[in-house]
Amino acid sequence: MVIPDGDLRAEPGSFRDPANRVFHAGSDVLRALDAGAAADWHALAGTDFFPALMAEGKVCGTELVDPAGPLPSDGGEWAAVLRHERIPFVSHPYEWSFAMLRDAALLHLEILRTALAGGFTTKDGSAYNLQWRGVDPVFIDVGSFAPARDGEPWAGYRQFCQTLLYPLLLQAHLGLDFQPFLRARVDGVEPEQMRRIFGGARRLLPGVPTHVHLHGAMQRRNAAASTSDVRAQLRAAGYSRELALATVRGLAKLVGRLDHRPGASHWSDYQRTCGYTGQDRVAKERFVADAVTAAAEPDLVLDLGANDGRYARLAARHARYVVAVEQDPAVVDELYRGLRADRERRILPLVMDLADPSPGGGWRGVERAGFAARAARADVVLALALVHHLAIGRNVPLPEVVDCLTSWCAPGGRLVVEFVHPEDPMARRLLANKPDGLFPDYRPEEFERLLTGRCRLVQRLELPSGTRTLYQVMVGG
Amino acid sequence: MHLAYLDAGSGSLIVQAVVGGVAGAAVAAKLYWRRLVARFRRQPTDQG
Repeated sequence: MVIPDGDLRAEPGSFRDPANRVFHAGSDVLRALDAGAAADWHALAGTDFFPALMAEGKVCGTELVDPAGPLPSDGGEWAAVLRHERIPFVSHPYEWSFAMLRDAALLHLEILRTALAGGFTTKDGSAYNLQWRGVDPVFIDVGSFAPARDGEPWAGYRQFCQTLLYPLLLQAHLGLDFQPFLRARVDGVEPEQMRRIFGGARRLLPGVPTHVHLHGAMQRRNAAASTSDVRAQLRAAGYSRELALATVRGLAKLVGRLDHRPGASHWSDYQRTCGYTGQDRVAKERFVADAVTAAAEPDLVLDLGANDGRYARLAARHARYVVAVEQDPAVVDELYRGLRADRERRILPLVMDLADPSPGGGWRGVERAGFAARAARADVVLALALVHHLAIGRNVPLPEVVDCLTSWCAPGGRLVVEFVHPEDPMARRLLANKPDGLFPDYRPEEFERLLTGRCRLVQRLELPSGTRTLYQVMVGG
Repeated sequence: MHLAYLDAGSGSLIVQAVVGGVAGAAVAAKLYWRRLVARFRRQPTDQG
């Protein structure tokens, strides 16, 4: 295949395994393979299990492209190129809810179990091997498959513990939200950290004695032993593929039993308590539907402050993909479970505080792209009942709120934004926690001036209750 | 060795034997027994 110079961009998150590297060329996602990885790919494509996993949607769609054509000339010694299905919106594990991380972990283990039975393994076990198509997890790291060697344990076990199992244990056993742990360290939670958290009687909780304490102790005792020596010793002692399979089955059983169901939070009852009248709701739904329909089947709708997903679901009827962002992990978890139960496949729910969106992470801060870099291409941005939380609740200056919301729209994209007047009961509740006169600019006229100064007003609607105004504006169009 | 781009961690490899049930524990016990024997075998030679 011919890749024009300058059109090829190396994916910053794909450098750890030198045997292969992901590139973007226009809208194509390509993976270049060295000679060894190309041989592994041909063997993998010839198995029964791999095409079946792909057909079930569990592994991202992958095909070999023109093996004789020119290859990416980035200095790598590439022997073949694969083309992958495009994931509609890339997300990171610290933006997932508990049930999302658990389902992702279970899929990883299912893929590994299937691969082991077919004579293959995965070279790693990272949560970053997984992405989402709506609420369906998908394994994206096709370069991770390699023929299994008899007598070798799973090389990805430590990564699996650090980025999947440990975060799940923290939330299921202790009710600690795992997202800050994963966001803070790209390699996840260390056994040593876990050992300190799970002291006393906590050390007896399911999965903790072995995968945390024993694991940590083994790491300390064998810190000086090389992995190649240990591999040889294990092989000589009779470690077998059946044992590897038994370990994976045990992990899947443990992960499948982990659950976390928090009690109701402030946000989980927000739709019922947020003070809308029935008339307001009907008018608001019609306004949002009109805006999404006007965008003519948008590729990407961002619903910011999505809460229970009411408007994300409405948008999904007219859009190809909706990303529903909500700061409360418990609310996102409920939304995820609800969407799965309803088989709604076009909405990706994500956990994120919009006043503190995901920064870039990993090597040079670009290995895991920040939210702004991924989001700034939305055809429609919904910001319903959000502005007062940022402007009053978090003291973000009103012009900055408007700038931020418009920055996530593609040129010609639409922003649907609700302004809650200072007299509204919900705004009054927030204002009551701040000194009088702190937000003199928080007025409908000022908000409208800022909005229309930056964008073209398409539609404006005052809700029947008289304390909320909806705007549809076109950004840069 | 194409599988080893990742440092799997020596302890993380051994613990997988231990968590693999009775058969796994037997493998781990054998590994440690062999290490012990190797140490005793080596010592007289070192001293001699």
